[in-house]
Amino acid sequence: MIYEKEKRYIIPFTDVPSSRAEMPEISVDERRGNFTEVETGFPEAVAVQEAKRCLSCRRCLGCGLCLAEDNEDSIDFNIPGEELNLEFDEVIITKGQDNAFHPIKPELGFDVYADVITDLQFERMLSPNGPTGGLVVSPLNGEIPGRIAIVQGSSNEEDEKHLFSSLVLGVNESILALDKTQDLEVALISPVCQSFKEKFSSDAEQISSLGIIEGIPESVERKGEEGPLSLTYSTGGQNKTEDFDLLVVLTKEKISPEIMELSRKLDQEIQ
Amino acid sequence: MKDKKMLIVGGGLEGVGAALENADKGADVTIIEKFADLGAERIPRDRLIKPGEGFVKPDLEKLRNQSNVKVLPYSDIKKISRDNDKIQTRIVKHSLLVDNSKSSEATKVGIKVCPVNMYDDFDEGLSFRTAFDYYNSETGNYNIYKEDMPACQRGCPINLDIRLYAGLIADGRYAESLAKIREKLPIPGSIGRICPHPCETACNRQYLDEPISICFLKRFVADVEINEGIEPDYETPEQKYSEKIAIIGAGPSGLSCAHDLARMGYENIKIFEALPVPGGFLQVGIPEYRLPKKLLGREVALIEKMGVEIQYNTRIGKDIAFEDLKKEYDAVFIAAGCHKGLKLRCPGEDDFEGIIDCVTFLRDQALGNIKDVKGKLIVIGGGNAAIDSARVGWRMGYDEVYILYRRTKKEMPANPWEVDAAEHEGVKFQFLAAPVEILGENGKVTGIKCVKMELGEPDASGRRRPVPVEGSEYVIDAETIVGALSQGTDLSFLPADHEFKLTRRDTFEVDEETGATNLPGVFAGGDVATGPDIAIRAVAGGKLGALGIHKYLRSK
Repeated sequence: MIYEKEKRYIIPFTDVPSSRAEMPEISVDERRGNFTEVETGFPEAVAVQEAKRCLSCRRCLGCGLCLAEDNEDSIDFNIPGEELNLEFDEVIITKGQDNAFHPIKPELGFDVYADVITDLQFERMLSPNGPTGGLVVSPLNGEIPGRIAIVQGSSNEEDEKHLFSSLVLGVNESILALDKTQDLEVALISPVCQSFKEKFSSDAEQISSLGIIEGIPESVERKGEEGPLSLTYSTGGQNKTEDFDLLVVLTKEKISPEIMELSRKLDQEIQ
Repeated sequence: MKDKKMLIVGGGLEGVGAALENADKGADVTIIEKFADLGAERIPRDRLIKPGEGFVKPDLEKLRNQSNVKVLPYSDIKKISRDNDKIQTRIVKHSLLVDNSKSSEATKVGIKVCPVNMYDDFDEGLSFRTAFDYYNSETGNYNIYKEDMPACQRGCPINLDIRLYAGLIADGRYAESLAKIREKLPIPGSIGRICPHPCETACNRQYLDEPISICFLKRFVADVEINEGIEPDYETPEQKYSEKIAIIGAGPSGLSCAHDLARMGYENIKIFEALPVPGGFLQVGIPEYRLPKKLLGREVALIEKMGVEIQYNTRIGKDIAFEDLKKEYDAVFIAAGCHKGLKLRCPGEDDFEGIIDCVTFLRDQALGNIKDVKGKLIVIGGGNAAIDSARVGWRMGYDEVYILYRRTKKEMPANPWEVDAAEHEGVKFQFLAAPVEILGENGKVTGIKCVKMELGEPDASGRRRPVPVEGSEYVIDAETIVGALSQGTDLSFLPADHEFKLTRRDTFEVDEETGATNLPGVFAGGDVATGPDIAIRAVAGGKLGALGIHKYLRSK
């Protein structure tokens, strides 16, 4: 299971799904004309059951298995952190490395299908230092895809600057993917492809081999159990449906709350 | 430019670029990055790549060789402020938990044996990693990612160890669970009923099915103690301190401050409370049906048992001058809350009897001062106080209760479960309606003139701004109108020539780490410092103040 990323560290959770305990209440008829407490509290069995739903989330809990392997005593859980008081003349705030993004249109199945990935994930996949050594593969089955679609992921399509820069990233990713993968077909679907083509008319040759389509993605469904992804998108006033082996969703970056707070506190823009 | 001290926040591509640029100009540069590594390679987003080109990498090699660049990885800014022309910071550099000056062969083995398995966020969750950060080829450093607290605890303003007390409940060890909660929170039964639970909002279980019902677990253990008639022991340490501390207001913030100080060994703590009852908003804001006052009274009595004295019916500024309090006590903690209801600001508001703000309405009801209950009640507003007022009115026996809100149900700031409960009980909602004028006859309210609204463009809060529909005015008859817009501080207890630094909202400006105001020995916390906020954050403010006061008195 992959979920929208808010923090840097993501842990897959496994447990038998169980629904949250409901608080028992007195009936509405019993409430009129008096101030009797409405919620009556969990019975013991319910409270214990609810407490057992706790996944006891933890990352490193200091189990010490690594200490046992460490012959040089270089691991030490007691090394303290440092506190520094520093004075500066000037601060530059940059957006940092959080890589969080705004929610993706739920119809695109990002949480549902393993072969629907973000542009950030695709970027890592294309990197020679990345998880696949630069090979384009589907996270669903490890196979090399024949057809990839790259589409806008946010449901709010008003920010033209964002649409444009994410399309540039999509095109660059396509160029790298085509370079590394034989017989690959890439379709880019974006609402700003017309103005993109105009701006980059000098690079026409480079982008001519890419299928850039003016349109907006509507929904994604899997065909059968292990079939390809079936993408429906609107283009030229009508809906079209095509099959793809991998869907890349272009995300809109979200600046971390800490950086926003810092910018507010110092009354200074983020560079 | 030379010797100029610069701080670059963020060690990504932009941060490293800015650092190199300024270092070249001769500045003394420090980069702070919250992760253990500096910038990763990126594909350009501002131009098309040329054939054969791919990723852009930050020049970490050059960065390392610059003598005037200092890198602080795995570090957070704890405090930052502008002070004349300088920027003062306090930075925490987290421990890597690995001594990287020793050979790293063993730590390589450590990576292999570590049983922690999590998505590797560096690869955007496309691969897995252990709690060891990968061998960083650029810096040669390892680190172990050992979080100090899980998401729920981090989300809680007072960082309650939820994992621990939930675990104890799962094991049937209720008394121990409650004792653990009480170490940090003196009013678990009250908070366990009314907290909007930011911990549950953070709970990781929501990604699997639904968050744990953490808040009600706290209530459960508090209830077990009452049902079984157990009298808890509140121990205070042997080391005692004799300084006199005055606390203004016996609300969640003042009570928590008193409790924490008593636990530290302070023996002379006195709370001054204007009302005849303790609890502040918990007593006179939150209605009985959500929080029985008997229970609140018991929790306060336990704090009193630790030696805290509460003097009721004493309003500072009227019964005792603030200046006298300051003179007579070694430290003062102001926790006066936000007990002033804001006005509707529409004509007729001050002309008739029968219009009242929600703070006064809820307080008068809680103190048993409202006798005349009849006809129709209209509550104006969409927050929790509006819902409380309406549900209280419905219980008191008003024939009909309406809530008027200028946006729609979706935009209401009130807790959604409270809105649902009000609806369920028969409170009627008129959405997209705003008051224009209060109507009255013979000095009494007879109704309210409203205008229909529609939602326009989103405003600064991200919610769509309501705009009046021209010519859509209509009148609703009503005998009582409650305005529930928001609450503000009432600082009339201070002398007119006080020297406190206040914010634009007339709240106290306090130090983030100690709760200290600009006057030595005077601290403030809770709503009077934050503006109207949830109870658990007021508790946090009280605890912070207690720490600040302790630090202040011990270094005096």
